[in-house]
Amino acid sequence: MPADRPSNRTPDLAASDSRAHHAADGTGPAALIKTFAATTAVLFAALLVLMHATDGGQSFTTETLRRQQISRQAELIPAFDVTLGNGQRSTLKAVLAPGGKVWLVDFVYIRCQTLCLSLGSVYQQLQAQIEARGLQGKVGLLSISFDPANDSPAALADYAKRMGMNPQVWQIATLTRWQDRRRLLDAFGIMVLPAPLDEFEHNAALHLVTSGAMLSRIMDYADYEAALNMAASMANTMTVAVPVAPPVAGRGPSAGIP
Amino acid sequence: MTRAWPAITAVALAVALSAPPLRSVIELSMAWHMVFQMPLLVAAGALAARALPKSGLPGKLGSFNLFGLTSFMAAQGIIAYWMLPSAIDRAIVNPGFDVLKLLTLFVSGVLLRDAFQRAPMALQLFFIGYWVSMICWLGIYFATTDLRLCNAYSLESQIATGWGLLSLGLLLGLAWLGNAWQKASKNPVA
Repeated sequence: MPADRPSNRTPDLAASDSRAHHAADGTGPAALIKTFAATTAVLFAALLVLMHATDGGQSFTTETLRRQQISRQAELIPAFDVTLGNGQRSTLKAVLAPGGKVWLVDFVYIRCQTLCLSLGSVYQQLQAQIEARGLQGKVGLLSISFDPANDSPAALADYAKRMGMNPQVWQIATLTRWQDRRRLLDAFGIMVLPAPLDEFEHNAALHLVTSGAMLSRIMDYADYEAALNMAASMANTMTVAVPVAPPVAGRGPSAGIP
Repeated sequence: MTRAWPAITAVALAVALSAPPLRSVIELSMAWHMVFQMPLLVAAGALAARALPKSGLPGKLGSFNLFGLTSFMAAQGIIAYWMLPSAIDRAIVNPGFDVLKLLTLFVSGVLLRDAFQRAPMALQLFFIGYWVSMICWLGIYFATTDLRLCNAYSLESQIATGWGLLSLGLLLGLAWLGNAWQKASKNPVA
């Protein structure tokens, strides 16, 4: 290779006497340093944005971001008027309030053939476990229909019967006013899409709601056993923590595990 | 002026896809959103930069952008952000974010046109190689995972998008190779 081949606008760092020439077309060592600084600044800015958007590189989906956010900071569920499976009108707050219970809330629509059916069977197993472990006073199950246009109280009652719901453990409710639907779904972070065969596609999860209608945790319904244990231990700490300041030794997170 | 029309058409089509009535197309199909609209925005930016008489940053700023490296890096950051499933969801749910998407991806196209004009082949190959592998990997992941990554789209739509991205990545690589081949046969010394 001939050494004197014209270098095609490539900076020749060895030749320090060609600085004047390089400064003119902006490819000298100064430009190299400036470019390095600018590129590094851009890279850091991009990394900052990406780290912020992914919660420190942990969460790449809306669902995991939401779950992280809720587990760090519980959110108050706003007020909604609901109608229960027995036709009784109430508010979501009143359903969730009594007795320091922790509720596992999920969202369904009754025509659902796919995901809701498996969710339904998860709730049947949860109900059986709550009954077997005597957790009725600590953990409640609530299914909320997000399809108030189709899911009348009669349809809810029929569904409750089909699922073998024990009203002491498992409640079903729908919105009294369908106009509240958007607000309800936003409050819980549910996105509902129309799907073929007149169905809906939606992100499904177990929502742990603690006393005062605080959404405290969102968990995968595949982890329903862990969710039940967590709900039971949350119910314990709720009842223990109110009157006594120091926690009782030996009754920590293991409480509630058979 | 003849160079302006492709840019105007691309911008108009990409923006129209974010506004009603065409918005329902990108709301329903992840592939139209990610494999068509997003690359179209980048292309629109590149075409617009080409259509302008004197494209590229002015001389003084040019010394901060040797070989287009800074432009490459900025475009890289923008494109990486819009590959996040959470960002894709946000663009669908939040109109403000959708406007941000239109602007930043267009800008990334302008930057890329500038970068490719300044960069030597080796640097181009570095970035193209990186993007082709990133897009193809993401495509294969979208197409094969059982996880629904976007709350705004069905798993079916995600799988179609995955294969679309894989094709896009391969096409991008082939297009660059074709271009490089052409340049190399025209000017064998460089």
